[in-house]
Amino acid sequence: MIKIDKLSRNFGDIKAVDEISFCIQDKEIVGFLGPNGAGKTTTLRMIVGYLQPASGNIEIDGESIFTDPLKACRQIGYLPEQNPLYDEMTVVELLAYFAALRKLKRDYFRERLNFVVKNCGLKEVLNQRIGTLSKGYRQRTGLAQAILHDPKILLLDEPTSGLDPNQIIEIRELIRELGKEKMVLLSSHIMQEVQALCDRVVIINKGKIIVDDTIENLPNYLNRSTMLILEVQGENIDFSDFTAKYPFVELKILSRDETSCKISVYETSGRLMSSSTTEQNSSKISVNEPSGRLMSSSTTEQNSSKISVNEPSGRLMSSSTTEQNSSKISVNEPSGRLMSSSTTEQNSSKIGVNEPSEFDLRKEISSFIRDKGWLILEFSTSKMSLESIFHELTIENYYESEIEEKLPSEQEFMEEEHTKPEEVNSIKEEQ
Amino acid sequence: MKTVFTIAKKEYELALRSISTYIVYILFLVIIGLIFSNMVFKIARAELRFLFDIMHIIFLFYIPAITMGSIAKERQTGTFELLSTLPIKLSSIVWGKILSALLQIITIIILSLVFFGIIIVFGEGIDYGAIICGYIGLILAGLAYASIGVFASSFPSNQILAFVLALLISAIFYLLKFILPLLPFGLVPIVQYFSFDYHLSSFLKGVIDTRDILFFLAITVIFALLAQFNLQSKNLMQER
Repeated sequence: MIKIDKLSRNFGDIKAVDEISFCIQDKEIVGFLGPNGAGKTTTLRMIVGYLQPASGNIEIDGESIFTDPLKACRQIGYLPEQNPLYDEMTVVELLAYFAALRKLKRDYFRERLNFVVKNCGLKEVLNQRIGTLSKGYRQRTGLAQAILHDPKILLLDEPTSGLDPNQIIEIRELIRELGKEKMVLLSSHIMQEVQALCDRVVIINKGKIIVDDTIENLPNYLNRSTMLILEVQGENIDFSDFTAKYPFVELKILSRDETSCKISVYETSGRLMSSSTTEQNSSKISVNEPSGRLMSSSTTEQNSSKISVNEPSGRLMSSSTTEQNSSKISVNEPSGRLMSSSTTEQNSSKIGVNEPSEFDLRKEISSFIRDKGWLILEFSTSKMSLESIFHELTIENYYESEIEEKLPSEQEFMEEEHTKPEEVNSIKEEQ
Repeated sequence: MKTVFTIAKKEYELALRSISTYIVYILFLVIIGLIFSNMVFKIARAELRFLFDIMHIIFLFYIPAITMGSIAKERQTGTFELLSTLPIKLSSIVWGKILSALLQIITIIILSLVFFGIIIVFGEGIDYGAIICGYIGLILAGLAYASIGVFASSFPSNQILAFVLALLISAIFYLLKFILPLLPFGLVPIVQYFSFDYHLSSFLKGVIDTRDILFFLAITVIFALLAQFNLQSKNLMQER
């Protein structure tokens, strides 16, 4: 197990990595995501020992890597981002050189060489100079070098860049195989790859971890996790009762006329971010309270409603996801919406996840519409892909900090943003 | 220790694979050959002492050229990152680079034995001892220069800069003998002590003095440690 504890590193004034903490368990493939310049490579370099952290600690199996760096090095296989290799050497020479530097026994090296050549598909290029290799083969050579000594820990910085689709599948297969017995930290920009390979995702932005969770839980980190689009027909369409009942639900009117109305509805259950900084404090406090107390009377209503409307949950989402969504809502409810990337909060929200309290927006809204006697013409849910989740998480942060740092005078602009949901509501109330 | 040899062997093999190495060897032999033939045929003096001086000057340029890439190039291409993830000590890398430079210096000195051969054929009353001592002295001086070169290479990630820096430091040690007459009397022995020529001259006379050997070795070790320290201070690697 690798434990990274409050790791920081500055480059001049820039905080490349800012007190990040996360763990990698044995036999786990962790995806390490983040936009360019987020601090991924810096973190990897620190784990590998190429860069010294400004503060913080890295432990492998409970032992700090700084006490015995050489021992730590022996356990790590590393594929750097640019995949630097000695261009003048042939593939087999390079592997032999690294084996010698790692002090592998001759027989063991031969055995590993066979394994590596077979699995990385290097047979045809073994005696070719690395400088003349295509990018794909070069990448495979880098990977071969990383796994040559059968390390316990594999750190791969964008392992499939420059590979053709067939090779990508092969390498992915190999990484998956390796992940069965090793810890793998995989940094990548390719979301499908992360989705296909990783058990868990760590998303880092601006040197801070904003998400550390399983892929299935990711949608919960968004402000708007579930999105419903529905078209309703009826007299006096007015959702203000609904939004009053569930303040965390946002409605947006897409189009409307006399008798029908097309709206999009989403839960603002996002745990991680909101545009408001003032609300952050209050929400944090509320989250840290025992979650049982947090549940308001509306929770009980949700429970009952779930019982009454049974089972349409299988359509687009797995039931587990919806449950997790709803649990989050129960945690966050009193404060309205919520945010911040502090780990304590993540923990507390995890507690919430374990404690299912049922709320399903679809059930709620359809029963609401039924009670009003309107007709539903269209009802669709849209679930966000990992890509859009990533985009939203990282961009939002970027946008916010941009405003905070560079345009302090634009607070009004921010406030304007915050009031938007209320505006929508008030419009509806007027109607 | 084994790591040092592994690194040195790989560096040396790679150097022998590059065309530029052979171009430099040929240039070296041509330059020395021109001067040597001038001496032999015009002045009719077949002696190596003058040749050693020339070789010393050529080393001043040649050694920075072979060491300039040693660490700077690895950092430029990023292979240093890879190297630092291996379970090897920083000092092994530095010493491996120095050793590979030394091997190249020895190679070039072996090539220059051609002229020694000519002298054996044509010369009379050859002082073999002095010549062998001269070669030993040259190798030791070369080792010190190599260490300076590797140290210079650990500074910038630009090879040309590394070359200029190495040349500068080496030149200071070489040129000290020329500023001796300008110095106040009290300073002369101290400054003289740091002049490479001063220590080499006794080798050329056929005297192997432990103090001279120690001087060159000390310079080598000091600059190797400085290179190591320099890399560490840049946080490039953990302190190992």
